[in-house]
Amino acid sequence: MRPFLFSKSSAANQALAKKNHSTQFIAGGTNLVDLMKKHIANPESLVDISSALPNKVENTTKGISIGAMMRNSATANDAIILAKFPLVAKAILAGASPQIRNMASAAGNLLQRTRCPYFYDVTTPCNKRQPGSGCSAINGENRMSAVAGYSEQCVAVHPSDLCVALAALDASVVVNDKDGKTQTIAFQDFHRLPGNTPQKDNNLPANALIRAIEIAANPFAKNNAYVKLRDRDSYAFALVSVAAALHLNGDKIVEARLASGGVAHKPWRWLAAEKYLKGKTANIANFEAAANIAIKDLKPLSHNGFKIPMLKGAIETALKQCLDL
Amino acid sequence: MGFFDETFDLMAPNDRRVEGVAKVTGAGKYAAEYKVDGLCHAVLVGSTIAAGTIKNINVDNAKQVSGILDIVTHLNKPLVPGLADEAKIKEARLGLAIFHTDKIFFKGQPIAMVIAETLEDATYAASLITAEYEKTDAHVDFDAALKKVPLTPAGKERGNIETLNKATQTVEAEYNIKAEVHNPMEMHATIAEWKADDKLKLFDKNQGVNSVQRTFAKLFNIPTDNIEVISEFVGGGFGSGLRVWPHALACIMAAKQVKRPVKLMLTRPQMFYSVGYRPAAWQKIKLGANSDGKFVGIHHQAKNGTSVYENFNEGITRVTRLIYHFDNLKTEAATVPLNLSTPTWMRGPGDCTGDFAIESAIDELSYKLNMDPVALRMKNLALDKHPDNGMPWSTNYINECIEKGAQMIGWKDRKPAHSQTIDGDWSIGYGMAVGAWNAGRGNASAGIQMQKDGAIIVQTAMTDIGTGTGVSMQNIAHEQTGISKSKINIELGNSNLPPAPSQGGSNGLSSIGGAVVAAVSALKLKLAGYAAGQNEAYQNAAPADILLSDSGISLKTPNEQFISYAALWEKNNLDVLEVEASSGPGAERQKYAFCSSAAHFCKLRVNRKTGKVKLERMVTVADGGKIISEKAAANQMSGAAVGGIGMALMEEQQTDERLGTLVGNDFAGYHFPVNSDAPIIEVAFVNKPDPNINPQGSKGLGEVGIIGTAAAIANAIYNATGKRLRDLPITPDKVLLG
Ligand SMILES: Cc1cc2nc3c(=O)[nH]c(=O)nc-3n(C[C@H](O)[C@H](O)[C@H](O)COP(=O)(O)OP(=O)(O)OC[C@H]3O[C@@H](n4cnc5c(N)ncnc54)[C@H](O)[C@@H]3O)c2cc1C
Ligand code: SF4
Repeated sequence: MRPFLFSKSSAANQALAKKNHSTQFIAGGTNLVDLMKKHIANPESLVDISSALPNKVENTTKGISIGAMMRNSATANDAIILAKFPLVAKAILAGASPQIRNMASAAGNLLQRTRCPYFYDVTTPCNKRQPGSGCSAINGENRMSAVAGYSEQCVAVHPSDLCVALAALDASVVVNDKDGKTQTIAFQDFHRLPGNTPQKDNNLPANALIRAIEIAANPFAKNNAYVKLRDRDSYAFALVSVAAALHLNGDKIVEARLASGGVAHKPWRWLAAEKYLKGKTANIANFEAAANIAIKDLKPLSHNGFKIPMLKGAIETALKQCLDL
Repeated sequence: MGFFDETFDLMAPNDRRVEGVAKVTGAGKYAAEYKVDGLCHAVLVGSTIAAGTIKNINVDNAKQVSGILDIVTHLNKPLVPGLADEAKIKEARLGLAIFHTDKIFFKGQPIAMVIAETLEDATYAASLITAEYEKTDAHVDFDAALKKVPLTPAGKERGNIETLNKATQTVEAEYNIKAEVHNPMEMHATIAEWKADDKLKLFDKNQGVNSVQRTFAKLFNIPTDNIEVISEFVGGGFGSGLRVWPHALACIMAAKQVKRPVKLMLTRPQMFYSVGYRPAAWQKIKLGANSDGKFVGIHHQAKNGTSVYENFNEGITRVTRLIYHFDNLKTEAATVPLNLSTPTWMRGPGDCTGDFAIESAIDELSYKLNMDPVALRMKNLALDKHPDNGMPWSTNYINECIEKGAQMIGWKDRKPAHSQTIDGDWSIGYGMAVGAWNAGRGNASAGIQMQKDGAIIVQTAMTDIGTGTGVSMQNIAHEQTGISKSKINIELGNSNLPPAPSQGGSNGLSSIGGAVVAAVSALKLKLAGYAAGQNEAYQNAAPADILLSDSGISLKTPNEQFISYAALWEKNNLDVLEVEASSGPGAERQKYAFCSSAAHFCKLRVNRKTGKVKLERMVTVADGGKIISEKAAANQMSGAAVGGIGMALMEEQQTDERLGTLVGNDFAGYHFPVNSDAPIIEVAFVNKPDPNINPQGSKGLGEVGIIGTAAAIANAIYNATGKRLRDLPITPDKVLLG
């Protein structure tokens, strides 16, 4: 690891004042420290923001606000979250390990980098790590890679579970930029597709801070599920995951939400399938039809064709679990 | 009351690990944890290419880092006499002549070593070293490379393999297993200190201190006794510590170079390519039986990966000649050189790989024959004699393992046809397989020191890598002496103690047990010698006639003739009484064949929509002769079974042929089972002593716990779904697409 300066800020504006291109914020450090050890991130200085940002869930007029520094464990156990947005807790608990969740912050989870193995190996070409060097995964070991939304430049997926739930729930990200201005970014617009700039994971303005994540009140607290498929039962990143939520009126679906991890460079919404489910009866046949719509236009790479049937199965399973079937 | 309360009772007996408290409190020190005055730190820099020659190494930037003491490369190194020229390098059999060559054989091969005051400085400086190479073609894809290597006979053909064509039913199939990495929790580490020009002290992680001693004595051309190796606590090995690896030599070279004690600990990424792995394997089996289930024969072909600088043959077809009678048998093998580091023994080496193919094929055959797989195996077991060398077994209770396991799992509930038990999206199935291992024994020594109060210390150089060697030595010493366990201390893992073989191949307890028995006999005779001075009845007493207790010595005669240790010590002016004795295999090896065995059963569910496999129950029953320490033995078995789950369902070291590289080198990507992947493993033992193998009657258990596990799981997946999956690991994608 490259030697670095370390300081701690107790307020957001103080932290923002210290930020420039060679400075990085550190929250729980569960991703950043690994990136520094592997020489993928090489900041000259670190600003510890763990005391500079809100760390609670608060009720707001529109819904709730999750403080950027709220630890993943605390969020998953929070009474408000469990009562109003249990899908968030389910997604968090499907990720990482208790120890990592105890350290990991809400904002850090959004900003964690891909787990593409080439990205982590500085001896191999990778456009995300070193723009222009090439993508090792597209014709290499791409079992974990994307099946939608990728480009020739990068086929990586975003690894977060929490973000899949937040995408399904149409959350938004509250950002403080360098001048102290606050801006709210819709979750769907927060993460990016790789296009020609795979080095950019998201649309967080340069040197800005995430202050909070907001979720507007919604009717999905009752029927929701998070299904994650991985190479072992716990403590592994998703091959594919599905966050599903249904707003039901009797057995009619008023509205459905479906999002997935392990599919693309950003949490992936299955909008066509959601649209299909709207107004339909909540039954297995319709769930299967929705799953078939979701997987229709996916484009697997050389080693991840299995993700298509797996997604179909995972979507059906998640929708059934929404009904406790 | 908590999990760790004494009364907690899973497998019953209260035989605590002698090292347990030290381990869980942190008082026990692993190799890298010793404090040594003046210690500095070495960090290895790996090659970024997989094949070629080093043209130039640029260390200038690294040298600017504060605290740097020196940088070792092939151009700047203390010459190791044992690696002085090509002939010596060959003879040394170290594998990689670290820093004594400019050739690159695999990516990650150490090309430089930074020595600095702190680990942080050394690590940072190491990241600044760059090299230029002349690259040559590299191959790391086993599946592609194996086609270029022809098979050659592995052992003698039995009968005539053409007879297989006359079998009523045959199975012919190929099996592939990806490379697996040991990755014990404790990373390999060495602290080296030159006490004098020809005197070396090492704290080292390994599975055999005497082997470390011998290796470096030869390399540095100094007497073995001048090297002290301390490996008192070892955080797992699984075979990775059986060899002496180049990084340990690098550390010793560093200490020589800077004339200070040096510590070198591999990083987790380096653990993936520095201390061996279970090589990738390809196998083809043709197996045939008559309609009554009697095997006609087997043709077993196998290839395993190796490095380009060494030939490692795993012996995959050894197990083919161990469990069943095959009148007609042909085994062929080959090794496939790759630009990867050299593989090595990993738990159940060879047999575990071969057994997966054989036991999968037998299961497949059982469906073709419409025969229960248990019955099919029972019919063909070689219970009378070793099927290859023809010697009668000393003991072989594999049939009892099978019977007991079948009963424990409720085998009768298994449906003979596949895909019969459905629960929503899940299909439920049962599977079983067996495994066996040639049970060995080596020459070992043990010592005993006795105090006036009757407390004894039992000593050996053998390591305890977590297998329970220490507690088992304590149990044997207790049984042989009658002295309370609380008065028996164990010292091990130190080359100053009586020599013993490395701990591997399930030979540890089998070897050291006899030495402890011999040392107790020596102690009895020594005590009797002193006692004879006080009481003539002790003259010429044999060890079997002598009884010891916490307080004194007596005889097995009606009036016992008790003499307290205190009286003996005072009368003879004794301080500490010391004895040492050796023991090893003998004529019994010419009369009998020896094996350990196990039967593995499992019940699992497979999700047809997602490909997820969830193990519900696992039963493992083993014949390990007499069980000396039930808790430690059960722990060995369940740990091995969990390793088997990893092999079956998730462990896989990927490679990238284009880049000549391993893909991934951390625990986020290399998956081994976590708790929720494994049910509580239900372990049982036949527990009948083998009267010939060694005095205590125990046969080794370390390997058989994993030999057969993967096949039992694959066979259960077939029973559940009708999908015959022959490539490991069986990840959810293979289940879905299978
Ligand atoms: C072995 C392992 C397994 C894991 N498994 C999973 C899994 O299964 N599912 C899953 O979802 N995650 C998983 N994770 C990832 C984990 O959730 C993330 O590492 C964690 O959420 C990051 O949060 P942090 O606070 O530690 O971030 P840090 O590491 O501190 O920071 C990450 C990045 O975010 C930036 N940052 C942090 N806070 C802010 C802020 N408020 N404003 C602006 N920038 C900020 C930092 O500068 C840095 O660039 C795993 C991690 C590990 C190591
Ligand atoms: S997929 Fe993206 S992260 Fe992976 S190697 Fe290609 S460019 Fe790098």
